[in-house]
Amino acid sequence: MKFDVAIIGGGLAGLTAGLSLQKRGLSTVIISAGQNAMHFSSGAFELLSRTPDGMPVDSPLEDIPLLPGDHPYSKIGLPRLTALIDQVPQLFASAGIKLQGHALRNSFRITPTGTLKRAWLALEDVALLPTVETSVGRKVLLVNLAGYPDFFTSFIAEGLEARGSSVRICSLKLPEMETLRTSPSEMRSVNIARVMDTAWKSVVDGVKLHLRGEDTVILPQVFGLKDESVLSLVRGSIPANVLFVGTMPPSVPGIRAQMKQKAAYENAGGTTLMGDTAVSAVLDGGRVVSLRTRNLGDHPVEAGQFILATGGFFSKGLSSTPSRVYETLFSLDVDYDADRNNWYAYDFFTPQPYLDFGVKTDNSFRAVRDGEAIENLRVIGSILGGAHSFKLGCGGGVAILSALAVAEDLSNELK
Amino acid sequence: MDSKRNEFDVIIIGGGITGAGAARDCAMRGLRVLLVERHDIATGATGRNHGLLHSGARYAVTDRESATECIEENMILRRIAAHCVDETDGLFITLPEDDLSYQARFIESCLAAGIAAEAIDPKDAIRMEPSVNPSLIGAVKVPDGSVDPFRLCAANMLDAKLHGAKVLLYHEVVSFIREGDTILGIEALDHATGLKSKYYASITVNAAGIWGHGIAALAGVNVGMFPAKGSLLIFAHRINSMVINRCRKPANADILVPGDTVCVIGTTSTKIPFEECDGVKVTPDEVDLLISEGAKLAPAIATTRILRAYAGVRPLVSADNDPSGRNISRGIVCLDHEERDGLKGFVTITGGKLMTYRLMDEIVTDTVCRKLGVDKKCTTADEPLPGSEEKSYEQVAKSIWTVPTTVQKASASRMGTRAAEIDLRSNKEQALICECEEVSLGEINAAIDSMEVTNLVDLRRRTRVGMGTCQGELCGCRAAGLLAKATGCTRKAREDLCSFMTERWKGNLPIAWGETLREGEYTQWVYNHVLGL
Repeated sequence: MKFDVAIIGGGLAGLTAGLSLQKRGLSTVIISAGQNAMHFSSGAFELLSRTPDGMPVDSPLEDIPLLPGDHPYSKIGLPRLTALIDQVPQLFASAGIKLQGHALRNSFRITPTGTLKRAWLALEDVALLPTVETSVGRKVLLVNLAGYPDFFTSFIAEGLEARGSSVRICSLKLPEMETLRTSPSEMRSVNIARVMDTAWKSVVDGVKLHLRGEDTVILPQVFGLKDESVLSLVRGSIPANVLFVGTMPPSVPGIRAQMKQKAAYENAGGTTLMGDTAVSAVLDGGRVVSLRTRNLGDHPVEAGQFILATGGFFSKGLSSTPSRVYETLFSLDVDYDADRNNWYAYDFFTPQPYLDFGVKTDNSFRAVRDGEAIENLRVIGSILGGAHSFKLGCGGGVAILSALAVAEDLSNELK
Repeated sequence: MDSKRNEFDVIIIGGGITGAGAARDCAMRGLRVLLVERHDIATGATGRNHGLLHSGARYAVTDRESATECIEENMILRRIAAHCVDETDGLFITLPEDDLSYQARFIESCLAAGIAAEAIDPKDAIRMEPSVNPSLIGAVKVPDGSVDPFRLCAANMLDAKLHGAKVLLYHEVVSFIREGDTILGIEALDHATGLKSKYYASITVNAAGIWGHGIAALAGVNVGMFPAKGSLLIFAHRINSMVINRCRKPANADILVPGDTVCVIGTTSTKIPFEECDGVKVTPDEVDLLISEGAKLAPAIATTRILRAYAGVRPLVSADNDPSGRNISRGIVCLDHEERDGLKGFVTITGGKLMTYRLMDEIVTDTVCRKLGVDKKCTTADEPLPGSEEKSYEQVAKSIWTVPTTVQKASASRMGTRAAEIDLRSNKEQALICECEEVSLGEINAAIDSMEVTNLVDLRRRTRVGMGTCQGELCGCRAAGLLAKATGCTRKAREDLCSFMTERWKGNLPIAWGETLREGEYTQWVYNHVLGL
């Protein structure tokens, strides 16, 4: 199998790069182990939520120049970054994914615990507020499904009340969910969403019965796993402003977006090797020649260019032993602290140093091994060093924009 | 001040296993009992050990008295605390680098102490316990087992209350009420309200473990204690089904104990200053030692995911005639401070170990009764604890037979006969909140309703929520939602969830590499980013 570009990793970064490259007329393959961060996502992407000093960011584009030189945004450069940012809504829309929000001003996502988190873009069924002070409505009906433990109504209600809404919580007992409830571990977001493809009507009926003049109704994000049309059906049938707030993972909006991206990539002619993992790489004279995957065995995946988008520790792009942190496929140079005592902060909620570890690249995101750049291997997404994505709140932006920058570079080079 | 309401026969300081068992024994002998604990139950050494139901074999060669005490208490706990005990049996293995001639002396000492020790063929040992180091050259089978110390402590506390004892958790002793050479009672600070109250009793018992050193000092007497930190590791799988020990003189990291769905290797032993007793930390060196020594018992240890590291502080006591502390005893020490120091109304019970808590409590209750002129025999060795009445799990399971079997088995094994009291009637109560440990909504509600749960860590001690492979990643938030509902205070529940996650992380951090670091990153992602805590 021979392609223009082989992409290792089918998460947000890998699929964004793949779709962009296919649209530019290149032939690509994505090797994807399966689940990725989108399955556990908030349904929103951050561009920049905090400055390096920890100050909250209201206008991401204004504060990006504050980032250090080794940050992926700095490597792209502000003028080009701004142009790439403008392409994002259109690229996602072409995959059938509607996004809200804008890079000029951060919006605020209502989290599953009722707090507000800054967001650049969000999927359509993510409750997004323009400012911290915005009240979602004067009177809110907060609806849960009976027996569903992963939607935290009392936390959400507290947050809404603090911003001036009066909130009433109700619980709907749906006959369609009784089968799910007989098994003690079936009441999870994705299972419920499958039932909701048909049971949404009962939810609408239940909500209508409970409505006492509320102007806003909040539901858990358990609708439209495969097809978002059920969202507008629910919205159109309830005589109030309907918002959706997140649950414990897995994330229904995240999975839907990921599936749509994958479908769009394949429709554009991309090849996916699903459930497969790159296990080794053949290099020759400082260039990657081919990859071996678990499923293809002796049949190599050959390409002129390669993109590493394998993610961080959770996605197994990085791994660690008691004494070192390493990149799992190419043994690329990783930026990390050699003393394990310095990997952690004692307080769980302060930024953990290990989360900042990542692979080193040159300014064009070329991977570096033993101090030398590998000419045809680019690195994108959360495995990138220098991103500080937890501390700065920029994970989604780094994934999407590093992917677009690399895709643009490669298509220019290959054409 | 309502003095009548605050008057007791005996006040017990400390909510570990010793205090809980003393409260039970005193209450069963008809005394009016108050127990005060500055945190939650089982927060000290009680909750920070192997959970080993010692046969006593470990001490047979070096300390005959302790060995005999252990085997006697071992047999008693199998009867009175059946729902806390897992009768796994244990092996003492000899490795090629050990001296095989020690084995004969070991068996002889065990038999002399009343411990049924039996040499078995190493090949049989491998058949009985496939995880054991296959290069063993000798094996002895002994009646070791495992015991859930949280459950045991909670059951003692519950029974004390059923016999009329009053229990005040999150109440810290700030001073003694003293008249001349007599202790009349205590003044305690209620951490929930910030208010101080006085409580009176004829006798005050210091059962505060290593913190008993400070309690004694507060009363104006000196008890020569030596804090010894012991670190342990919990593995994510129950790789062994029998306890595995080394057949040699007791040393570091030579006991591997299976417990519930996990197993535990320990321990190290380091003297530490008193200031470090709160918040002991496990060091990388200790982790490395535990893994390398543990792998000698069961090689799979080297490749099994570690779930947590934790450390406890043993309350070792020096003999009264040895202020240097060189002659440290792990035996039971009961000090009548009237006889010893001329301080009336004050008794200290310390030393000993989890295994001998009941005997310690029998001794101290005998002392209290003697001083009060009460003539009642101890019955704690015969009366089963709540949850271990004479009904088998199967019978209990039958009474909740409509419940899915996972929930049924988990609840019955955790709560014993008391599982029958849990409301598991509908699928709402059967829903699993903690998937790793299979804790149902009904069991959590029962704990919140009747087991004095004020926060998530308390809930964990009583139900095992958050103790499994995911380390609270999924269930922490669910349980916080339930607590918020029960207490009506979401702000507190949110703060509580944050401290619960930090507490969980504290145990992950010393071993956070490989899969644990992977899980750590995921948990960070979910809690900091997605949930926005």
